[in-house]
Amino acid sequence: MEQIQIPPVDLAVVAPLITVVGWAIVLLLVDVFFVPAGQKRITGYLGIAGLVMAGAVAAPLWGSDSSTFGGMLVLDNFALALTWIFLLIGAISMVIALDYLPRQGIEQGEFYPLIMFAVSAMMLLGQSANLIVMFLGIELLSITLYILTGFAYPRLSSEEAAMKYLLLGAFAAGFFVYGIALIYGQTGTVQLFSTAPGQESLAEYLGRQTFAAVDLTLLLVGSGLVLVAFGFKVALVPFHMWTPDVYEGAPTPVTAFMSVGTKGAALAALLRLLDMALPSLQPIWLPVLATLAAVTMLLGNLGAIAQSNVKRMLAYSSIGHAGYLLLGVMTVSERGVQGFLFYLLAYSLTNLGAFAVLIALEQRGEAAWSLDDFAGLWQRQPFLALAMAVFMLSLAGVPPTAGFVGKFYVFMAAWEGGLGWLALVGMLTSAIAAFFYLRVIARMFMQEPVRDVQPQLFRGLTLGISIAAAGTLIFGILPTLLINVVQQTALAVGR
Amino acid sequence: MTIVIQIIFALIAMLILGSALMMVLAKNVIHSALWLIASFFGVGALYLLLQAEFLAVVQVLVYVGAISILILFAIMLTRAADLAGETGRQWNNRWWLSLAVAGLLFGALIVPTVIGETWNVAPTEVAGAAAGQATGIAGAAELGRGFVYEYLLQFQVIGVLLLVALIGAIVIAYDETARRRRVLTLAEELELKKRQEAREAKEAKQSRKGKGEKPLPAPVPTDTLSKGNEGNEGNEGLVVR
Amino acid sequence: MTDAVPLSWVLGLSGALFCIGLFAALARRNLVGVLMGVELMLNAAIINMVAFWRYLEPRFITGQNFAIFIIAVAAAEAAVGLAMIIAIYRNWQTVKADEVDSLKG
Repeated sequence: MEQIQIPPVDLAVVAPLITVVGWAIVLLLVDVFFVPAGQKRITGYLGIAGLVMAGAVAAPLWGSDSSTFGGMLVLDNFALALTWIFLLIGAISMVIALDYLPRQGIEQGEFYPLIMFAVSAMMLLGQSANLIVMFLGIELLSITLYILTGFAYPRLSSEEAAMKYLLLGAFAAGFFVYGIALIYGQTGTVQLFSTAPGQESLAEYLGRQTFAAVDLTLLLVGSGLVLVAFGFKVALVPFHMWTPDVYEGAPTPVTAFMSVGTKGAALAALLRLLDMALPSLQPIWLPVLATLAAVTMLLGNLGAIAQSNVKRMLAYSSIGHAGYLLLGVMTVSERGVQGFLFYLLAYSLTNLGAFAVLIALEQRGEAAWSLDDFAGLWQRQPFLALAMAVFMLSLAGVPPTAGFVGKFYVFMAAWEGGLGWLALVGMLTSAIAAFFYLRVIARMFMQEPVRDVQPQLFRGLTLGISIAAAGTLIFGILPTLLINVVQQTALAVGR
Repeated sequence: MTIVIQIIFALIAMLILGSALMMVLAKNVIHSALWLIASFFGVGALYLLLQAEFLAVVQVLVYVGAISILILFAIMLTRAADLAGETGRQWNNRWWLSLAVAGLLFGALIVPTVIGETWNVAPTEVAGAAAGQATGIAGAAELGRGFVYEYLLQFQVIGVLLLVALIGAIVIAYDETARRRRVLTLAEELELKKRQEAREAKEAKQSRKGKGEKPLPAPVPTDTLSKGNEGNEGNEGLVVR
Repeated sequence: MTDAVPLSWVLGLSGALFCIGLFAALARRNLVGVLMGVELMLNAAIINMVAFWRYLEPRFITGQNFAIFIIAVAAAEAAVGLAMIIAIYRNWQTVKADEVDSLKG
């Protein structure tokens, strides 16, 4: 009987991940045994503390470029930047959920550890360099989100949304696995790129082959199926049918969380797959992705125009934003990666803030989300109205907000990458989108109240909205703060 | 020998695909589930034929033993809804579209891909030994070693994933009404208020009419509120259980 | 085994199974039926993995390991899905996919 070897694991690479997962597991136990019912916000505070701690653990790792687990997990500046963005998303979602859960009568301590598990899955996706790890990360994220979507259990819409999400997600998982199997069949490996000399990987396999010499059909079909699965997760247009229903039905903090988190994590994984494993196939996948992005931007924003329910409108607009994010993913360039990161952060702050404003208008299961309910908000709650105006301007891409800089960045990346027409489509759709974002602002500031809606602000909610609004404005006015950081990331990713 | 294996393969394939087809076609969900179990068994047999013995056992244990039983439980627990609709359609209105998608995917994509590909098949034991190459098939021992060495990360992630699924199933299906305090929505509260006012108005009217008349039966109790709203599906949280 | 049955037969079988599962997942009205279809799709993918392992690199264990990971994921997904179906049934008194549809717009 030979000895079982323990593989050498570089703990630094997994430190932030371990912190979040370990803290979440401990928190589950603490919640059950030490936190009394009705005081579950204590669990929330502890969860936020865990996320902050993970962020601190990740700080000294900046600038490292290492991998572990046989190259399956990598840690570069790109992954670290993503880690911080995801931790921020998780923390803000928890902050705005602190008051939401008891008000809705759905307060359960499991909510916060589940958010932490979802954040860890997103971090795993940002770090993974292996298709199977990617699949497991996506599944961990999805399963957590199914549960969170159905968290407002006695509410019918929440249950329905969770079920729809689960069926579509499981369906996409089938495509993903089948695609991975085909890729494995062609290449004999599922590693995206080699982290050590002599290691088998997709990038190396493609580097070895000349196009004429070998038939790549299987790899292409497999990648196509994987792309379909990603399309479902990110809600790109032909695969977006579930999004409005799920986003509308889910508890609002969860909607905020998944509208930014899932897209960010899945697109980051897609970016690694396309830019690092399959860059030599760019002539084949670029037209496909460009078409997808164009259709996504167009239909997402057109769909939003018809909505009178603001939550549903934001759901459609988030489909459109996935298209803008995709612009940064598909231009295999440093500028694209930087644009993707900047846009992701700007969009995350803005969207989280916008949904937080919706929470303030949601009272005890009665959602006041129609456009009429926003009428005259300025007179009743100037703070909310101002914050919402900032978020709407940022989503529309109006200076001086972060959304403008983000859009500018990804459009420039697309332009430089030879996708000028796509940048034009992006600008056109932004103009369309401005219509329905500005409509909300007009309602808030220029109309008398139509209905008797009493927005309720709590400390946590105010804090969450303030952070989001401040971030949106600061990164919009002084984008160099962030650009300097972001520019260091691209070097590591473009090895 | 070759022909025997081919016949066995054909039988297994027929079992898998036949029961899968029956699963789709069966009207009764229970029959569907039973056909699904048959199909799972067939897949297990295929793994045996492919010399993946451990996987065959896992297939039977997990799919036949756990997932299928779970499915049967779910069907039994949700059966009352189905009893009436036993004669209803088992497919939705767009089934022809689904058929087209599935058929196209199979006929236009998978079959040509699979047939057109030339496979770099590893040498069989006899041929490999003759050519001096290492042969042999990895078994359960290598599989276990893989879990703790090469694929340690995935193994850990799977652990977290199963934990999350465990918590999730409990959070979703465990129904402790006391824990989930039902909060009335504004619409419900308004309705209650309206009825209260109507009742008071009525009582005031009666007291004006004089003492001689018998009081009307008790006003609508608040419990029946949910009944009045049952048809209103779009409203959230209106079902009081 | 590898001599007698060509790899493309096994792959064809798994492809057919995948498409049957796909049809079931798209077309069945019963939510349990949809989940059963998804299980078939995942099974087809696992058959692919195992077949590639057996035919292409039987000395390495990669394919089988992945197969077991996928089985675990499928089990987790089925557990959550079925719990959800039961919860939905409690509220809606139905398990038909097209009747659980109140969110529109």
